Amino acid sequence: MSHEVLFQALSDSVVGMDEESTRTHSNQAIADGVDPVAAIENGLVDGMNRAGTLFETEEYFIPELLLCSDAMYTGLDILRPHIRRDSAEARKKIVIGVVEGDTHDIGKNLVKIMLEAAGFEIIDLGRDIAPQRFVDEAIKSGASVIALSTLMTTTMDAMGEVVRLLQQAGVRDRVKVIVGGGPISSGFAKRIGADGYSGSAPAAVKLVQQLLSGVAA
Amino acid sequence: MSRDRLSPLERLAAYVRGQPIDRLPCVPIVGNTAARLVGAKVSAFRGNGRLLANAHVAAYRRFGYDNIRIFTDLYTLAEAMGAQVHYPDDETAYLAAPALTTTEQIASLRSIDPAKDGNLPHHLEAMEIAFKAVGHEVPVTGALTGPFTTASFLIGADNLARLMLRDPAAVHRLVEIAFVNTLAYARAILATGASPSLTDAMCSSTVISPRQFREFGAPYLRRLVDFLHSQKRSVTLHICGKTHPIWTDMADTGADCLSLDNAAALADAKSAIGHRVRLMGNVPPSEIMLQGTPAQVRESVFTTVRAAADNPRGLVVASGCSLPVETPFANIDAMLDAVRELGWPVNSTALQSAN
Repeated sequence: MSHEVLFQALSDSVVGMDEESTRTHSNQAIADGVDPVAAIENGLVDGMNRAGTLFETEEYFIPELLLCSDAMYTGLDILRPHIRRDSAEARKKIVIGVVEGDTHDIGKNLVKIMLEAAGFEIIDLGRDIAPQRFVDEAIKSGASVIALSTLMTTTMDAMGEVVRLLQQAGVRDRVKVIVGGGPISSGFAKRIGADGYSGSAPAAVKLVQQLLSGVAA
Repeated sequence: MSRDRLSPLERLAAYVRGQPIDRLPCVPIVGNTAARLVGAKVSAFRGNGRLLANAHVAAYRRFGYDNIRIFTDLYTLAEAMGAQVHYPDDETAYLAAPALTTTEQIASLRSIDPAKDGNLPHHLEAMEIAFKAVGHEVPVTGALTGPFTTASFLIGADNLARLMLRDPAAVHRLVEIAFVNTLAYARAILATGASPSLTDAMCSSTVISPRQFREFGAPYLRRLVDFLHSQKRSVTLHICGKTHPIWTDMADTGADCLSLDNAAALADAKSAIGHRVRLMGNVPPSEIMLQGTPAQVRESVFTTVRAAADNPRGLVVASGCSLPVETPFANIDAMLDAVRELGWPVNSTALQSAN
């Protein structure tokens, strides 16, 4: 099987929600000596991006996206250990979590999946996270972005608190803050001084890429 | 309610018959905001039906809206069936852990006794007290979470999402058990004099596909609506988030009124299904009702009225979803005031001038 055909099969397995086929083709990539980074990017990530597009056009919904990500992670688990250290570029880090008082994490998980597929290193703090922890983790890990999610109106203020704490710590210029979730709007993001708002997981990837490339979002 | 010529029951009855009314029906969907009317913390509602009733009756008297809905959170039924719910001191409760982790456990789910299990008896007590106090002038309803949404709380939303594609038969077994218990709770609600008000949040097209809604959500809702119709009750069905791909399916459940979130365009819903169902919506609860000014609330009500006051089956001016707890009273007043200002038939001069 040529590399291109293998990449296509990996991509199709992910977008087709087929964990078994992803496993088979990932193992074959290793057996054939294919560059694991290329297999991830041209195969798994390509499939996840296609799934993201289908999600945006409302052909896929959250259940389909979750199963695609299950397939993607199956492949990543096989391919990643074979990446040679010197070929592994330092990936930009993103601290992500659901703010304190809220435990709805489906939206956060989708954003995490899409950002991971886009090549970022994700530090997932989980749900119900105090503002200070986001800031501490971002400083500790040298993260470029903090991504905050909530579904509840009662917890929105905690997002503004994260921005304030970053300022107090003197690192506001080093860390971009993006927000999302049911009750959040771009108006709210502006008001609390966040760098951006995204209404969907695929859009969050574009937002982060824009912010980190210095282009105004 | 001296501010209005008609009582809510009189207004709704006349409106449905096409007779003259004083103003459009208006329902800012007050949930735990009611705690603020009686100076209580949200957690005080737990296990205290009398306080819950007093708060909702006080809120109704304070604002003069057209429907009382006894509601604290969406988890009451799932909790009675074994899900773990966390009750913060002064915020809305949330799901701490689902009742099940595997599909094998579905068969072990118990049938609820609404008089005993979880917080259900207290909610029922609240409905009974509120109905006795003001049921002669305003519809008193009790929130009833739909079977699919309860199923998602029983086994976890991620888990259920995967199962719909991997093991649809197990999902049907689970939703059927949720349905049987929903029906038992609906009967208990009816016995208090109140009517169930249906919410099936997880059926939203923001979460699952229209095809999945048609397979796992709609059939169970239709059976509930059929039952409630057999008991001579009118049914309002609320689904949050995006719903435009399933409007026809929602109307097909037989519901009399669809309550739509601000993610849905009321004018489009009117064209699509307005000849079949009354529409209820959809002033944004967070952006406008919580964070906006009274002037913005008025403007948003006018926008809603412009979009759908001519809906063939009528319009209830409402918030798109339950109001956030800390929604300012001034904004709730502003919502009612805007509807009163427009009157009925809607004062088109006032509507235009606000453009």
